[in-house]
Amino acid sequence: MTPDTTLHLTDYLFYFFALLAVFSGGVVVFSRNIVHSAFALMFTLFAVAGLYVLLNADFLAVTQILVYVGGILVLILFGVMLTNKIVDVQIKAGSIHVLPASIITAVIAGTLCGVFTLTDWFVVPGADASAVKTTAPHIGEALITNYVLPFEVASVVLLVAMLGAAMIARRERKK
Amino acid sequence: MLESIIQSLQYIKPEAALTATFLCAILADLIFKKKEITAAVVIAGILVTAVYVFQQVGERASVFSRMLAVDPFAIFFKFLILLSALIIVFFSLFSNEVNNNKRRIGEYYSLLVAMVIGMFFMVGASNLLMMYLSLELTSISSYLLAGITKEARDSAEASLKYVIYGALSSGLMLYGISIVYGLTGALDIYSVNSVLAQGGTNTITLLIAGALIVAGFGYKISAVPFHFWTPDVYEGAPVSITAFLSVASKAAGFAMLMRFSKVVFIDSSVLSLPAGMWATIHGVVWTDILIILSVITMTLGNLVAIWQDNVKRLLAYSSIAHAGYMLLGLVVLGNDGFAATMIYFVMYLFMNLGAFYVVMLVANKTGSEDIETYKGLGSRAPLLSVSMTIFLLSLTGIPPTAGFVGKLYIFAALINAKLIWLAVIGVINSVISLYYYVRIFRNMFLRDAEGEQAPLTFHFAHTFLLLVLVVPTLALGLYFGPLVEFAQYSVAMFGVK
Amino acid sequence: MIPLNFYLILSAFMFCVGVLGVLVRRNAIVVFMCIELMLNSVNLSLIAFSSYLGDPTGQMLVFFVMTVAAAEAAVGLAIIIALFRNKQTVNIDEINILKW
Repeated sequence: MTPDTTLHLTDYLFYFFALLAVFSGGVVVFSRNIVHSAFALMFTLFAVAGLYVLLNADFLAVTQILVYVGGILVLILFGVMLTNKIVDVQIKAGSIHVLPASIITAVIAGTLCGVFTLTDWFVVPGADASAVKTTAPHIGEALITNYVLPFEVASVVLLVAMLGAAMIARRERKK
Repeated sequence: MLESIIQSLQYIKPEAALTATFLCAILADLIFKKKEITAAVVIAGILVTAVYVFQQVGERASVFSRMLAVDPFAIFFKFLILLSALIIVFFSLFSNEVNNNKRRIGEYYSLLVAMVIGMFFMVGASNLLMMYLSLELTSISSYLLAGITKEARDSAEASLKYVIYGALSSGLMLYGISIVYGLTGALDIYSVNSVLAQGGTNTITLLIAGALIVAGFGYKISAVPFHFWTPDVYEGAPVSITAFLSVASKAAGFAMLMRFSKVVFIDSSVLSLPAGMWATIHGVVWTDILIILSVITMTLGNLVAIWQDNVKRLLAYSSIAHAGYMLLGLVVLGNDGFAATMIYFVMYLFMNLGAFYVVMLVANKTGSEDIETYKGLGSRAPLLSVSMTIFLLSLTGIPPTAGFVGKLYIFAALINAKLIWLAVIGVINSVISLYYYVRIFRNMFLRDAEGEQAPLTFHFAHTFLLLVLVVPTLALGLYFGPLVEFAQYSVAMFGVK
Repeated sequence: MIPLNFYLILSAFMFCVGVLGVLVRRNAIVVFMCIELMLNSVNLSLIAFSSYLGDPTGQMLVFFVMTVAAAEAAVGLAIIIALFRNKQTVNIDEINILKW
């Protein structure tokens, strides 16, 4: 049996999302305007969510959009607005020692790609990607059975973050 | 499933007690608005937790679908963390830096408890997911505590650097975890080990994964080259938090690293080694990574410390160097080495907290942490200066102090494992460290004070806490039998049956 | 069907873009965005492994990474805002009372 080399719609979608993720990721890093960076990050996050769908992780794709785009990105935009004067159109965001950093990163990227291509990853014989139980009911069930302890610890993490962020960011009343 | 969860619940009583303390501390702060009451709630909570931990002595269990291990090894570290948390609460009550703040800082004590919760889970975590989560709980609480005196500009700055480095290294660690997951298909460290032990894993990929995961651990124990945050955070944070980070947070990081090394990379089928020694899985260079990490950590820490003029910063580099000595114990993959590191930690707890406490008392009175402030301190505050000398001698490792015993066990373990050259590097480093510790006591005893000459007087309670730290530093240098036995027992009973 | 390696290489690229950003950018908020980029690439590789292994463990880890990332972003931005009030800058190398 010859492998199926024709491209399917999902394959085109993979390449589309992959290019979108890497390109807008590049914009996040290299844009001199911080607001452009923030919006480019939104495209990356959406592209990654699209890739999750291709990998049959539909629930996580929705979570990605809700938590990252709806939560973290909005938070970052608030941070941008609170720390820069909005009237100032030119929000400078310079860079430092670009060349050595680029070389280091290129080396890391090359090594990782090379190694990943040559590695034999762990495979379960007969595993079927589409059979993974990752829809909301299954994740919910796992959270209250095998993962109940991390689930509870995560609630403490969120409480600490909430308490602490409010404490650090609030303005002090002058006495 | 439900039965196993209910059965597991009885094993997390200490953590549950701490979580209850955390919530009570928040409520007490909201209702009474007095920091003394909040602190009292926290002290009571710590004591109750200590009782629960005491009841666990001798237990060996794996709970919550193997997320958490309750074993003598974890219990040893839980005692260590509780003891230092208790001492730190008293530090905070005595610290002007924390109390003379313009605003209420009730959250301070609640966050301290949250950090202890995180560290309790760190010492027991036996699943990579749980390790990551508990590490982050500890980290997030410590970012906030480092920035708590945010009006002081360097505190917020220290906190920002801490967050950025923390987020970066946890990102690296996660990438390592994801590679390990790809190689073994598991996150539970025992399952990871059994897949790796079968062989056939690509060793270069595993090496990359190991190096990335070390970034996460190295950040927590402030090993070079993941130490960049340490001097700034130690200098910028309030002294009480600095002391806590340098002891408890480091202990939790070490406990997690030790559990990871002992479980993941050890091939338990090799029986040719003498009892109490472990062999790494064929082709895994874990020991070499630890040797490199340890040598550069202690050497760089000691060399940079020589140039420091701020005593807090000097102690920060000294604590980096101490992480290097303690890593030496891990290099000897065996019961001896691990027990030596654990013994060292107990000694380190008293001497390091003591040194930071003296810095805090001096800063309370003079408002400065500069080494020049210590000039003539010998005549202005004799008890304080003598105590500081004892702590510094102990940090150097000179007999008859606790630090000597700690170093002795580590070097003995190295020599037994035929790693004599490493022991020699350790001794040379101790000699270098003597140089900068001497600078402090030369200033205290051989130089005259400039300006202010009046003797410094301290409140009775402050002196009492100082004695609580000095006495064990000396006593553990002379009588350490039970401690050594407890540490050896804890390592021998490592893990679950 | 796209092979697993394609996803991994994509994730390695995104990770390196994130690392590059952390190294070269000096605006603390942009640094945070780059860290989110790194975490996203980790999540992508975990989900790819999980999907190809037919094992949901990796996806559970992603779930917790998202939780912690949200908490970390909240705390980080709060600290940035506190620092900005004191110093009116968010550029890392202008913040230099403490030496590196």
